[in-house]
Amino acid sequence: MMPRKLTPLQALVMGLALIVVLFPVFWIVMTAIKPPTDWNASPAIWVPSKPTLINFQTLFNPDAIREYGVGGVSQAATDSVIGSLLASVSATAISVVIGLFSAIGISRYGNGGKSTPLVILSGRMFPPAAIAVPFVIMFSTIGLIDSYPGLIAIYAAVTLPFSTWMLKSFVEDLPREIEEAAMIDGRSRMMAHLTVTIPLIKGGLFATTMFVFILNWSEFMFALVLSYSNVSTIPVQLAKYVTATAGTLYGVQAALAVLAMVPLVIVGYRIQSHLARGMTFGAIKQ
Amino acid sequence: MNHSALLHTPAEAGTDSGTGVAARSSAPPSLRAAASGASGPTGASDTTGASDVPGALAPRPGNGTPRPRNGARAVALALTVPGQVVSLLVLVLPLLVALYMSFTDWSPTRGSLFDAEFVGFENYGELLIYDTRFTYAVLRTLCISVVCLSLEFTFGLGLAVLFMREFRGKSLLFSAFLTPMMILPVVVGYIFWMLFQSNGPVNQVLELAFGAGAGVEWFRSASFAVLAVIITEVWHWTPLFFLILLSGLNSVPENPVRAAVILGASPRQVFWRVVMPMLKPVIIVAFVIRSMEIIKLFDEVFMLTRGGPGSSTETISLYIYKLAFNDFQLAYGAAAAFIVLIGSLVLVHLLLAPVRDQLLEGGRK
Repeated sequence: MMPRKLTPLQALVMGLALIVVLFPVFWIVMTAIKPPTDWNASPAIWVPSKPTLINFQTLFNPDAIREYGVGGVSQAATDSVIGSLLASVSATAISVVIGLFSAIGISRYGNGGKSTPLVILSGRMFPPAAIAVPFVIMFSTIGLIDSYPGLIAIYAAVTLPFSTWMLKSFVEDLPREIEEAAMIDGRSRMMAHLTVTIPLIKGGLFATTMFVFILNWSEFMFALVLSYSNVSTIPVQLAKYVTATAGTLYGVQAALAVLAMVPLVIVGYRIQSHLARGMTFGAIKQ
Repeated sequence: MNHSALLHTPAEAGTDSGTGVAARSSAPPSLRAAASGASGPTGASDTTGASDVPGALAPRPGNGTPRPRNGARAVALALTVPGQVVSLLVLVLPLLVALYMSFTDWSPTRGSLFDAEFVGFENYGELLIYDTRFTYAVLRTLCISVVCLSLEFTFGLGLAVLFMREFRGKSLLFSAFLTPMMILPVVVGYIFWMLFQSNGPVNQVLELAFGAGAGVEWFRSASFAVLAVIITEVWHWTPLFFLILLSGLNSVPENPVRAAVILGASPRQVFWRVVMPMLKPVIIVAFVIRSMEIIKLFDEVFMLTRGGPGSSTETISLYIYKLAFNDFQLAYGAAAAFIVLIGSLVLVHLLLAPVRDQLLEGGRK
């Protein structure tokens, strides 16, 4: 098909679509910089006349908002930000390292058999609420409930299929002969994989790491069910703010939402050419 | 707050783990039956793995000179075993516990899981025959899925087709259109919860367009609440269809298209008769991936409506969550989950059949 130009009508459609896509993002960012008087104004205020960072300050210092005559937020979000970072970074590291080994093993030695992929895919279909139930029981028995090691273990395991399959597709893009040449040069198999394969898929490794980080950072249900007082993540904190204050602290909630989404959008743009591969378990490459 | 009761009871149950273990050894027929019944594929790969071990470990991988067969086996095992162990421990084991649980009447207030009474298929029967709330949750989730996926596909395809044309700022717009799928589901739910407030911007725009009184109490009426969920979901995931379909369109080979044009096909015919059939595998992959996710729809609905008003936006996942963590009917919830699992396995495998190799063997594009 010859590349043709957009007709004016098509350009209009695309412009409207762009507005629809970007408006919600615009709205959350605007709400995050609204002073308390503008939060729940009726009719709603689209662009605050006096933008402020007070909402972001309040996240880390619950009393900051008092200067506007609004009662403080019950709980700072500091712990949940640290918790989110801790859980997603560690889980991502574990998931990607194990996934990398599995990916090389499966694609180079065909280990894992025909049925493993189906088992993994089936696991993805199981409602997380139901997997969470046995986890709560098992974790309470061995004292892992409401603890970061427990949460990290689950996150790593849940994202393992993604890291394995995404990395496998990168490893398979690499001709076997390169590794075989290294083995003929006298390197052991394992060394050949470690020193030849891995450096050559660096780009893919980075994309996979970022993709798995997105998944871990977004996870909500396991954190909701397995956290009580020691453990908190940003999504859980956001849900708590919404229930606890039922819409009275729009601005602070919006600030937390923006804080949660900014890293992901940056990371997402950075690896956008690999997103399709990640979401489809490597079935679609770009 | 409502977790506290749940958190403590199993812990107490855990303290008398001595009796728990004793009970385990007296209970096993059912447990083992359940276990071997469910672990079909995994169990099989497990045994082959075990039979590999002796042969592989005997000759250590040579230092320097690769010994083709045995060295390869040991390395292969070393590489894949960690992943398999993690999957077994953290995914398969809980699944088996849940399966066992679904055949009992256990709830956290009744002590150890292994003391619970075995009730056979009672939970399953109850769910399938008497529990209309479950039936509605399933039907509702299916309806929402069908509507959402059709809309996401239509919008995604339309946008992808537009992106096959030339225009300025294409790569910037491409990124912009992908934005929604990079935002975490909880935040998407929260954003739309704000947008749909009765004095929110959506109602403002409606009133501007259709006059005062056109605004809607989105979360007070069942049908508008469902509509809000659908709009949110479509906004969030249309970009994925767009992304997948665009990559599919970009890889359509030029020759058949050229041939069709030379033979006098109109652009419309070229698109529907030549391009679309070649897109089919990509379209199926997109649908399979999205169906697997939307069947589990939870985060956005949790933030938007908590299933309300009443239970009018309750999805399967939300219902199971409420069963387990609000009502503490864990065994019953587990049974519900297995019904859903079997249903979605059948559904997805039917859908998957034409593209199974592409999806599982890592793409041949």
